[in-house]
Amino acid sequence: MKRIVIALALVLCAAQPTLADKVAAPIPIGIAVAQTSNVALFGQEQVNGAKLAEERLNAAGGVNGTKIALVFQDTAGDEAGAVNAFQNLLNRDKVVAIIGPTLSQQAFAANPIADRAKTPVVGPSNTAKGIPEIGEFVGRISAPMTQVAPNSLKQAMKIKPDLKRVAVLYAQNDAFSSSETTTFQDAIKELGLETVTVQKFQTTDTDFTTQVTAVLGANADLVVISGLAADSGNLVKQLRQLGYKGLIVGGNGLNSPNMFPVCGALCNDVLVAQAYSPGAVDKNPVNKDFAAAFEAAYKKGPAQFSAQAYAAVQVVVEALAKIEKETGKKIADFELADLRAALNKSLRTGTYLTPMGEISMAPSGEVQQKDFYVSKIVMNPDGKTGSFVLVSE
Amino acid sequence: MSGFFENYGFLIVTIVQQALLGLSIYFPLMAGQLSLASIGFYSLGGYVAAIMGTHPALAPLREALGFWMFPLEWLGALVLSVILGIAVGYPALRLRGIYLALATVAFVQVVNVAVLNMPIAGGAVGIFGIPQAFESRLDYIWFFGPLFFFALFLVWRIGNMGRGLAFFAVREDELAAGAMGVATTGNKVTAFVLGCALAGVTGAMSAPFLNTWNARQGTFDASVTCLAYVLIGGSRSIWGPLCGAALLVSLPELLRPLKDSRMILNGVVLVAACVYLPQGIMGGLAALRARLSGRGGAA
Repeated sequence: MKRIVIALALVLCAAQPTLADKVAAPIPIGIAVAQTSNVALFGQEQVNGAKLAEERLNAAGGVNGTKIALVFQDTAGDEAGAVNAFQNLLNRDKVVAIIGPTLSQQAFAANPIADRAKTPVVGPSNTAKGIPEIGEFVGRISAPMTQVAPNSLKQAMKIKPDLKRVAVLYAQNDAFSSSETTTFQDAIKELGLETVTVQKFQTTDTDFTTQVTAVLGANADLVVISGLAADSGNLVKQLRQLGYKGLIVGGNGLNSPNMFPVCGALCNDVLVAQAYSPGAVDKNPVNKDFAAAFEAAYKKGPAQFSAQAYAAVQVVVEALAKIEKETGKKIADFELADLRAALNKSLRTGTYLTPMGEISMAPSGEVQQKDFYVSKIVMNPDGKTGSFVLVSE
Repeated sequence: MSGFFENYGFLIVTIVQQALLGLSIYFPLMAGQLSLASIGFYSLGGYVAAIMGTHPALAPLREALGFWMFPLEWLGALVLSVILGIAVGYPALRLRGIYLALATVAFVQVVNVAVLNMPIAGGAVGIFGIPQAFESRLDYIWFFGPLFFFALFLVWRIGNMGRGLAFFAVREDELAAGAMGVATTGNKVTAFVLGCALAGVTGAMSAPFLNTWNARQGTFDASVTCLAYVLIGGSRSIWGPLCGAALLVSLPELLRPLKDSRMILNGVVLVAACVYLPQGIMGGLAALRARLSGRGGAA
């Protein structure tokens, strides 16, 4: 007992301000994403994108000749892990900015810590409402669902102008899906369509007979699904098998090739709104280069998570270069705290041409993305593989 | 030195916080009841604090109370946990052994689905922007530390009074204890409710500590982790939950320099602990002490 009291007393008499730090060279940028746990599926895509960015941007000269070094700290899938990763990046690795974390819930736990340490955070994949509002040092380059989702509905109305009755289905136990569905439902109202039924399911469900029967009974001519890849794949399959003939619009969870083996040929023609499309290369040379380099490095096309992670690194590097240009002072000559504050300001000025097209960050930290993409799923004759084919830019 | 605490303050407090959850499982174990319900009460307690801390209707109350809002949140969580604990405890504790464990797992699932369906709990995204009691994570030790010592004191005190002897009697042989006139149901429910109350208050303290609260805090995985604190630490020692939590929470962080392979080594250490320390760390230490003093032999 006594020993513990002494240990605790030691713990509590800590907390003196640290001495002023200089910025290290190469310039450390923190990446806090989920490299382990069940969220690693997304996190690994982000790691791939970020690593490619480091390689390519350094090859192009880094920040006006000074190289950057990404510092990876695994957040795992939970809130505590994200906080620990952030603490390490802030205090030990002394990074100039943090890119991460993977999940919005983790962002709500960890971002306030970076905000208190006055270090800019760039969210590469946080799409929930309320992220930029966490603090003045918190921003994101991932467009919130409120901006992305309505595009696919508009596209569906273009394909079938007499559309009227909409059925909404969503995975109730998934944070992303349940917030995405409110966006869809608001957009449906705004576009003058009528929601005829709202059905819930769990991401672990495999049998969707109840939901499909309700959709058929409501005589819907458009189905909007917010869920993850496996459950949504099954849902699409059972909708088609039980005789649903109308259009299907999928949320961002369906924006994944993992769906293809689940619903096979029945995946065809599902419409998905995307913040990034590897196919949108005609008007965007940056994406053309990125997609080709990604393909060469990883032997597969880039996913949205990879492109957004790449864009996040790119935005930070370009913002650093802008500081040098505007102040005429090298990054290495800055005090760390001053640079973090300057970088936060710099991030919020100007526009960036990224693989996702032209983006900028509002003073609030919210992303402003110029173009969104709507693709439809086209399956190959083997019924197991397929691709997202761009239908509008 | 200050850098160390800046970096690991959150981790240190997390150890105490998780040890409290371990202790909340230790209470029913004192009466021989394996309950995994703690995490459900932890989740509910967190929601009580998160809702009381953020709901717009309570803004005038928060303004009037200032810092005293936090103790009020703990009280709210405590009351809810005790009432619900009694309501769940009486029917559930008619079950024994593995069936009780299963019923409490079911309770955790029910809580999870219930909060996902309550609009006030923010759905799957949960509640965020919870008002902070302290700037630094380390300062939250002022919440969890006193609660931890109070809980330890309670365990120690109960162990030395009639109530504790009744608990132990039920633990060793419920039938025999009943035959000797020990009120088995009453004692089992008391031990269970003590655990629920502790978990609920810990949850209420954790919501501001984590900045956010969501249904992912109260999953089956989390209840198994809590049970692991007690089993790895030692289920017959009051220091067991703390030892187990300290090891399980800090290990992934201490192994952080190993990057991707850290989770593998983490698993290896846990398996080794289970195989070579069947009585947990505290049990292993006791055996070692006995062997060193030459009394216990190789047993």
